[in-house]
Amino acid sequence: MSRTSTSRRSEKRLRGIEIRSPECSNEVDLAEVASFLSSIFPSMSVSVKPTPFRDLTPRAIEKTASFLASSRVKDISRPFEPFEPMYGEVDYEVRGLTGDARLGGIVYDARRIEELLIGLLRTRNGLDTATIVMTDRLVSTYSYDDLRHHLRTIVHGFPSIVSVPGLVEAPAKPRQYYILKQRLASAGDETMDSELLKRAFKGRFLDYGSPKMTEVAKGLALQAVVHHLTLKPSCPNKKCRLFNAHWQEDLLLSQSGAPGLCSKHAELIRSLGRAPTISW
Amino acid sequence: MPIFEKSSESAVTRAIISQFAKDMDENAETDVIVIGGGPSGLMAARDLALKGVRVLVVERNNYLGGGFWIGGFLMNTITVRAPAQKVLDELKVKYKMYEKGLYMTPGPLACSKLIASACEAGVSILNMASFDDIVLREKNRVAGAVVNWTPVGALPRQITCVDPIALESKLVIDATGHDAMVVKKLEERGLIKTPGFGPMWIEKSEDAVVEHSGFCHPGLIVIGMAVSTTFGLPRMGPTFGSMLLSGRRGADVAYKYLKKK
Repeated sequence: MSRTSTSRRSEKRLRGIEIRSPECSNEVDLAEVASFLSSIFPSMSVSVKPTPFRDLTPRAIEKTASFLASSRVKDISRPFEPFEPMYGEVDYEVRGLTGDARLGGIVYDARRIEELLIGLLRTRNGLDTATIVMTDRLVSTYSYDDLRHHLRTIVHGFPSIVSVPGLVEAPAKPRQYYILKQRLASAGDETMDSELLKRAFKGRFLDYGSPKMTEVAKGLALQAVVHHLTLKPSCPNKKCRLFNAHWQEDLLLSQSGAPGLCSKHAELIRSLGRAPTISW
Repeated sequence: MPIFEKSSESAVTRAIISQFAKDMDENAETDVIVIGGGPSGLMAARDLALKGVRVLVVERNNYLGGGFWIGGFLMNTITVRAPAQKVLDELKVKYKMYEKGLYMTPGPLACSKLIASACEAGVSILNMASFDDIVLREKNRVAGAVVNWTPVGALPRQITCVDPIALESKLVIDATGHDAMVVKKLEERGLIKTPGFGPMWIEKSEDAVVEHSGFCHPGLIVIGMAVSTTFGLPRMGPTFGSMLLSGRRGADVAYKYLKKK
């Protein structure tokens, strides 16, 4: 009895963490994220590898592009349904996969991307490796609570997905930001508005090019590993790095620096660091 | 002594008619027809004409330029974000830097220079003519446009039973803005399905509009704000800079296609 139980525990031991780099951006310092995770899980190898969307065979590119094109969220008020993509949409995805197009502005259904990644990584990683895929794509999930899609910073799964633009776009900015934005939008030129708004609310939300992007990514990567080990990645304490922030100000607060863990999760992380076993 | 040389009414009339007839004869079959003479359409037409491609711009208004004449809140200043200021350099439009990466210039100056540049490059203009329908060929390839005088559409049908005319081309470019009029004609025939505008709360749509500028159906390239409608991209965000770069990208795609042919 005890032998079986010991054997099962040893089978569930986490052996490594693999961070997959985003498709093209360098907003997040992945070496720093890897070093952060290594300091918490010293017994494990933490590696940074290229995006699973690169180096695909021509046939895989065609298939993946078609899948991606049909995974776009076109109506945020309805649950996602796959559809027949247009020629131009598939062409864009092909160019995105081959590095000829910059990604941005498109929202993909997170569960479809998860499904795609499982397929792309299936032959490589088992459960003994926690895989975190960083992506330059925006991903969303549909909520039946308020009947709309919500952008996500992180989607927990096997692998977990961290959306780099999602760090900026997903959590809501301060309420006053949207009120002012609405007023300015009625005046016309949106280019000027966006610069004006950035100045007015400086420091209250994360923006592209900010050194805080890496700090926030570290916390989300930690969440992904904790999810892999416990299936309970979130904490209700706003000052804990495992807090699931829906507002930018909360995101910045929860990810503002080391150690940044509540007492309960500090203890959990210490014990996981010593013996990273899958407990579910 | 009179200031002007002597001429006659009939000579003036003949000059207008003969040139128009010559232009229409040439434009009955051309390389590229651009529907819509706004910033993206003019940019695409100009770039193609500079490479020796025969281009016709069909514009429903008397004036070209679309919304490029004026900025936000009916004020004349228009803004472009880097790297679109390089296009202003090419057009010899003077501008000022508002802050790093953000440039401003008077709308009338930028718009008139773009129009002049397109005309000087050799673009043919058919203004006061509205797009009516598409010409389809084998496998539903778009191969031209059916056009009519704009005033015809504004008058009661019993007075103006004027049939449109068809113009043939190797490619058609839809630069009709949010309406995506050419794409909609394909949709009416069940050949394409547009999703309309995408989520409105995403701000990073400029890149997406430029990146999606290109073929959306055999023979049909879509540029400018018509891209948003065609591919369901976010409505907010696209600005004049992205319209210019979208036009440029559409021209690149068209040129590569024509070169291959």
